[in-house]
Amino acid sequence: QRFRFCGDLDCPDWVLAEISTLAKISSVKLKLICAQVLRDLLGEAMEYEKILKLTSDARLESGDVKATIAVLGFILSSAAKHNVDGESLSSELQQLGLPKEHAGGLCRSYEEKQSSLQDRLRACSLRLSRLGSVGWRVDYTLSSSELQEVNEPLVHLSFHLRDGERGGTAAVPMALSAYKFRVLLA
Amino acid sequence: MLLVLSEEQKAHLGCLPRAGGAAVGELGRLALELLRRGAAPRACEAAARKLNVGVDTVQHGVEGLTYLLTESSKLMISETDFQDSIHVLGFSDELNKLLLQLYLDNRKEIRSILGELTPKLPSYHNLEWRLDVQLASRSLRQQIKPAVTIKLHLNQHEDQTAQVLQTDPSTLLHLIQQLEQALGEMKTNHCRRIVRNMK
Repeated sequence: QRFRFCGDLDCPDWVLAEISTLAKISSVKLKLICAQVLRDLLGEAMEYEKILKLTSDARLESGDVKATIAVLGFILSSAAKHNVDGESLSSELQQLGLPKEHAGGLCRSYEEKQSSLQDRLRACSLRLSRLGSVGWRVDYTLSSSELQEVNEPLVHLSFHLRDGERGGTAAVPMALSAYKFRVLLA
Repeated sequence: MLLVLSEEQKAHLGCLPRAGGAAVGELGRLALELLRRGAAPRACEAAARKLNVGVDTVQHGVEGLTYLLTESSKLMISETDFQDSIHVLGFSDELNKLLLQLYLDNRKEIRSILGELTPKLPSYHNLEWRLDVQLASRSLRQQIKPAVTIKLHLNQHEDQTAQVLQTDPSTLLHLIQQLEQALGEMKTNHCRRIVRNMK
């Protein structure tokens, strides 16, 4: 059976298996855990101790807590990736066996943060390198060892590139004659 | 299968009977630490002071024990073979039993450490991809040219490298088809027979 939040493919087996673990936590606590997972997906720090406290009532083992975080992370990021609205996500999760209140709480947290999540995913998409800044300088050559009167302008350009994750900067310098520079601008 | 010890190694291990039972335990612990973490000269000096023998004797004893343990674990020799191999050293029965116990207790751990010493190729870490469509370029306007850009992140000995690859969708489909054929090879009779025999 195909689900929109999985990109119109089958739901992965491990997600199906963890839905029953999610049902063990109360719906109010699930909404709070969702808020923490959303913080992690948006790049802020996730407070793991809070999640441990919230899951202690349901008496989950540490493996189950990590599985809960993983499955919530998958559902929320996958739904944002495929631009699924809250209503459809709620009905699809109920089809998978998640109780109605749990699905409702999860989807309400999702809807609040859907656009920020999509913005964040857009920013994380593959970018090879970015142009940081361009520096320029125009010189005027008066004379040289070859020719006494040169009287030519010379343009110096420096492109500063920023490499995505490594965060390094590389500078690409070049010098162009006035003619070449006009060709570049044309 | 018997272990063959060279004269030098026999000389190294020759210090053990003089040191006594407790010392052998201490040297055994040092040998295991050598395998887990590498050489620890300060620990050898401390052991030498405690046991009242020279640092060199302790060093040689530890090295001899390490060789004995790694070779035995590597070849997975049985108890009787181990006992026969160390019988040639002429130690007391009590010392032989201690060494045997040391071997049996730590065999599994030593085998797992030895397993990690194989040479490794770069392994998969992460794959990022992007689908673009080129609409125009300086030389030609009004085009439609789809391209898939892939960044393959690899891990080798804690070094991370990234390879950037670009292809068009039909080549990508061909690539996927070739990889699926490679996976399909596992289902042929030939591979199935080998896998069955390995189990």
